[in-house]
Amino acid sequence: MRHFILGALALVLLAGCATPPPPEPGSAASKIVVMGKFKGIAVGAIRVARENGFLTAKVQLSNITSSNQTMYYRFAWLGADGFPVGDEETWKVLSLYANQATFLPAIANLPQAADFRLEVKTP
Amino acid sequence: MFARFSMLAVVALLASGCSNTSPVLGSKNISYGDTKAVETVTNEFGSTDLQMIAESMTRSLAQSGILQGRPVVQVYDVKNKTSEYIDTREITTSIKTQLMKTGTARFASDNTDMQSQVDQLKLQNQSGLYKKSTVSKTGNMVAAKYRLEGSISSIVKRSSDYKDVFYKFSLQLVDVESGLAEWMDEKEIRKTTER
Repeated sequence: MRHFILGALALVLLAGCATPPPPEPGSAASKIVVMGKFKGIAVGAIRVARENGFLTAKVQLSNITSSNQTMYYRFAWLGADGFPVGDEETWKVLSLYANQATFLPAIANLPQAADFRLEVKTP
Repeated sequence: MFARFSMLAVVALLASGCSNTSPVLGSKNISYGDTKAVETVTNEFGSTDLQMIAESMTRSLAQSGILQGRPVVQVYDVKNKTSEYIDTREITTSIKTQLMKTGTARFASDNTDMQSQVDQLKLQNQSGLYKKSTVSKTGNMVAAKYRLEGSISSIVKRSSDYKDVFYKFSLQLVDVESGLAEWMDEKEIRKTTER
């Protein structure tokens, strides 16, 4: 009986650990919004800079599978208050060869953009 | 009396149950879609191509730093060198609109707007219909510092299994006084259909 209770307790604790913690604000993970399914592609380093008054971003993407992958993406540009600025971007397609790593470059739509989210999805 | 009242209540209840509470009127086969979705209905030039080109060119030009002090730009039509019919004016209109929103440039009347502009100035100054103090004077139009012009071309290849279309859109900003191209960019799009 004691073993059973200990086992159950261990299971509960493990289940608790299995839930990934929410990404820290400002971290690379906090800038990625997965729309439904996103498999086989890993998001790496993100470089953000302000060039000639416009926010620019470069996001590292790696195909972690041994087959070619297609993904859909778009950037959502946010103002200092965290709300979107300007119109929504159009969805774009990116093809990645097997095990290819690439950098996705982006320029903000308006000078007022202070932050961004990258919306991603695989077919 | 009770039976009649009950009957009326039942009819009213049924009628209210049948009433349409949806804000949609019409056929279920017609629906509104996401205007920003990736369109792959055919591999001809489509909405996604137009939006991607306009977005890419606008941002590249706005962020290049060449448009200092909100210069006046005159937009020329994009030359369509493809074998398809493409409304290239829509590309330039999108680029113009998006650049205008960034606040980095001002736009002079282009070749299509010019006639309306001249007609309006003539009407105000020559018809004698308007109060003098409200009339826009001639000779004060602002000339463009730059002209923006571009072209779109395509390479189409077909085999029994594939149709491949390669689009190349080029845009350049030319200083009117010096004739020098101050900024230039390209956007390439490949669309392949497997039969």
